[in-house]
Amino acid sequence: MANALALSRLLQLASPMLPVGAYTYSQGLEWAIESGEVHDLDSAKQWIGDVLIGYQARFELPVLQRLYLAWQQKDMAAVLEWDAFYRAGRDTAEGWAETRQMGYSLVRLLQDLNDLPTPLLTEIKQLSQPAFPTVYAAVAQHWQIPLADALQAYAWGWLENQASAAMKTVPLGQVAGQKILLALGERLPDMVAQAMALPEDHISNFNPLLSIAGCCHETQYSRLFRS
Amino acid sequence: MDDLKHTPPPSLQVTGVKHWQARLELGFARRDARSYLAHRLHKGPLVVQKSLHPEGDDVCHAVVVHPPGGVAGGDALQLHVTLQAGARALLTTPGAGKWYKANGTRATQTLQFQLEAGSGLEWLPQETILFDAAEVGFSAEIQLAADATYAAWDIVCLGRQAQQEIWQRGVYQWHQRIHRNDQLIWNERAHMQADDLLKTSLVGLGDAAVFGTFLVCAGAVPAEVLQACRAITVAGAKVGVTALPDVLCIRYVGHASQQAKQYFEQCWQQLRPWYYQKPAIRPRIWNT
Repeated sequence: MANALALSRLLQLASPMLPVGAYTYSQGLEWAIESGEVHDLDSAKQWIGDVLIGYQARFELPVLQRLYLAWQQKDMAAVLEWDAFYRAGRDTAEGWAETRQMGYSLVRLLQDLNDLPTPLLTEIKQLSQPAFPTVYAAVAQHWQIPLADALQAYAWGWLENQASAAMKTVPLGQVAGQKILLALGERLPDMVAQAMALPEDHISNFNPLLSIAGCCHETQYSRLFRS
Repeated sequence: MDDLKHTPPPSLQVTGVKHWQARLELGFARRDARSYLAHRLHKGPLVVQKSLHPEGDDVCHAVVVHPPGGVAGGDALQLHVTLQAGARALLTTPGAGKWYKANGTRATQTLQFQLEAGSGLEWLPQETILFDAAEVGFSAEIQLAADATYAAWDIVCLGRQAQQEIWQRGVYQWHQRIHRNDQLIWNERAHMQADDLLKTSLVGLGDAAVFGTFLVCAGAVPAEVLQACRAITVAGAKVGVTALPDVLCIRYVGHASQQAKQYFEQCWQQLRPWYYQKPAIRPRIWNT
């Protein structure tokens, strides 16, 4: 990354310290653990890797890319369109609530940080219940984080959060958590490249068993996570 | 079992044969207590022979028939349905939709449904069977007025199960968008190659050959209705129910179309009294 300041900004955006509550969501992983599908390091890695390929690379990242470009081109119609596209593509009640809450928290943070130029902040605040990636994209492009890096940081943040959820719930130790990050982190550059090359027609949120895990989580009796 | 009897007619297996371009327009309207088929126009082989009122005036039933019996590569089916204010219609199909080997060109199905104020549409087709090497592009664009009711299911079976056929080649594409008051409320998109990781993935289909989705857009779902749907169990399959603010979504992933249909029908029994204040009465065509 050529711009050293942008690297700082990227690390800040990708850090689990970012107060948007990402750590409270497991996105169906908690149900996969409850149901026994995920029960050790290998099965956790398999599940998280499958979501990475089947959902993150085919839906979240390609949409994030389009949101980033829309913000960069100051094309608010496109921002609204992709924001709606993303939100309507969240197919469980918890998944929908999650992105709304995280989007809201990030907008709040940006207000409190008072770092963005007023016109951009105003545009962000005018969005009605924006999705998390919509707001993330706005900040990432403003902080001049290159597109591919922004996508990779987003996927990394998601991956770290999943590994952490697996550690708490399976449970797995510190080393196992690091093994997940090491193995799946290695796949991210290729995944980002694939996501960026994905034709619009191929964007897909079709992961029926992930959706069903999300549904089952809603009525899970004992749970730590909100999704 | 039905699909055992149906292999593609030889003429359709030859590349270069004329493709069917079929379009059916249906318009339902309401006069006083009666919903009726007010407009019907077809071009090519996609027809409704007559409309029926098996449960009284309120809901008009119609069976959408595709006389060739199966869809070959290059064929295009379009179904355009409009419901005028207050009209209610139930549409189904007489049997499984069969999508043959593609022969290099994709076959498509386009659904366009427009529901005006206070109207309702139930789109409850029988399952879609993708023969090995079928390449299909399905799309559905649904526009709902503020208080329109929409209930639709979609069951897909990969490969002819009666012949233990595995869907090894081909493409399945599915785009569904539902708008209410011009706001996008549901956006589902699939693009799956037959050798796609999604087929075996733990979060995709997990090696199951049958998947289905039942959606109901009728506002907030009462807790007891949601609970009743969740209480329905299905042996050997995975199912899930979730209530988004404007969409109830029920999913099935398993091994038998028949089981998926039974499950959705059981859910429908619970749901119809909520969204229509009337019992679900199965169309007789489903018994044949």
